Amino acid sequence: MSVLAHGIGTRTDLPIPIGLALFGAGAAILITFSVLLLFWTTPRLGGAASGVALPAGVQRLADAPALRRVLQLLALTAAVFVVVVAFAGPEDTPHNLAPWVFYVTFWVGLVPASLLLGPVWRIVNPLRLVHRGLRLAVPRAPGAGRLPALGSWPGAVALFVFLWLELVYPGRSEPVTVGVFLLGYAIVQLALALWFGEDWFAHGDGFEVYSSLIARLSPWGRRDDGRLAVRSPLAGAISTPKVAGLAAVVVVLLGSTAFDGLSRTVFWQSGPGGGNGVLAGTLGMLAMIALVAALYLTGTWLSGRLAGQPTRVQPERYAATVIPIALGYTVAHYFSLFMLDGQTTWILASNPFGSSGVDLFGTYRNVLDLTAVSAGAIALVQVCAIIVGHVLGVTLAHERALLSARRARASDQLPLVIVMVLFTFGGLGLLFGF
Amino acid sequence: MTVRPARPRRALAALLIAAVVPLAACAGKPPTAAGSGSASGSAPAGSAVALKRIEVTVAHGTASGDTGRVKVATGTPVALVVTSDTADEVHVHGYDIESELTAGTPKTLHFTADVPGVFEVELHNAGVVLLRLQVG
Repeated sequence: MSVLAHGIGTRTDLPIPIGLALFGAGAAILITFSVLLLFWTTPRLGGAASGVALPAGVQRLADAPALRRVLQLLALTAAVFVVVVAFAGPEDTPHNLAPWVFYVTFWVGLVPASLLLGPVWRIVNPLRLVHRGLRLAVPRAPGAGRLPALGSWPGAVALFVFLWLELVYPGRSEPVTVGVFLLGYAIVQLALALWFGEDWFAHGDGFEVYSSLIARLSPWGRRDDGRLAVRSPLAGAISTPKVAGLAAVVVVLLGSTAFDGLSRTVFWQSGPGGGNGVLAGTLGMLAMIALVAALYLTGTWLSGRLAGQPTRVQPERYAATVIPIALGYTVAHYFSLFMLDGQTTWILASNPFGSSGVDLFGTYRNVLDLTAVSAGAIALVQVCAIIVGHVLGVTLAHERALLSARRARASDQLPLVIVMVLFTFGGLGLLFGF
Repeated sequence: MTVRPARPRRALAALLIAAVVPLAACAGKPPTAAGSGSASGSAPAGSAVALKRIEVTVAHGTASGDTGRVKVATGTPVALVVTSDTADEVHVHGYDIESELTAGTPKTLHFTADVPGVFEVELHNAGVVLLRLQVG
């Protein structure tokens, strides 16, 4: 079965109307210059120390190891169930729960979950539980000392592998593919975790890195004094620890989502990607990631030069400011998939093995409603997501510049801000489907 | 260092304006169907809308005819005529219409394009995408 963009689905979005695209582009420019010209001249978003601490009881509960083990056990049960369904359930994708749970409910659902609740996958990651069990047999982790140097680079690689599966691999929507990937992913991750220790997951599990990155924009955070706190999402984002490879994670996310957009355009479908070939897809995805990387590195390098900052630290220093832009792209590309094709998960969950007469939740007879969200509403959400992401990105970059140099001139930020405008124009252009 | 009270307030106001303007603009705009003022969703029952005929022929695994992106307005009655040189199964995604094809015999599928979006029409066995139907 050949499939549409992003892993699975029965439909893709209509190109956004030209009016909305122009409105979005105009708003992006206007807002950008208001930020540069009118905004604050001293840092004021707050940092790692900001936020109102939650009551100690709430923190004790949230941090309780027992609670985490229970949640991890539930997630492990669900994951094992999905793998079993992938191999033993109905063979055709429209009737097998596994691809829908994995590509839509889990992967796309991780975004709203992390945005609302914080780094959820770090808390419930079932691999952490399995790792604890294995650790009893293998007490030593010889590579633990090397983890800090690796930073988030392994996470960027893991995300790239998953995104390649989701966006390029032709058999991506087959239930067996999902089962094999989940098993293979778990084995590789567990082996690496045994070598590097449990902290590996925070560095190298792509889903945990992704969830934690998005959670920087959630209202929950841990203050530098260790207390859980409610705080401005912008304070959370600006206090993202500078980790090696963070920029790589953001660039991979942004570049692959841009490729997802590219693969929906008439240009791609009737040109290089017409044959759904692996080579064309892989090259297209790499090219988009390389393009985003080149733009980002040029922007941060030039801004650093103008501001007289050491140019080598610039890419990592500004990586967190691109998180909202990547998030905006993600929402724009996956919103309709989650709302429309995401219904399939709840329909199929009622009868995971396709046995006749089974209807656990009374939803198996429901029919996918592809008109639940109108095309106009989808286009609005897409444009708004991209613009809000842009506003927050430019705002964070401005604050970041002020934190690096108290007397930063607005003009020094121009190269990076222009790159952000280009990202936004590119995102809108892909939605418009040049 | 001293911060004059006027400055944060101005900055706050600017932040509010910048944050609210796009949101308000987004929220205030009524959803319009994509494309050029096409009817949104409601297919007229009496069907004064002209039938859209789409014809595709597949030979040696290659589709010809109305391939690529085919655009129809929401609510258009569609007659999709598919001829394949091998027995196969044609599938209109999203609308979930599937039909068996016998080699060399044209098969006509009738449906109303009332769900907006872009949908693939493919041959299952050959794995060939015949066209992408853009409704809206």
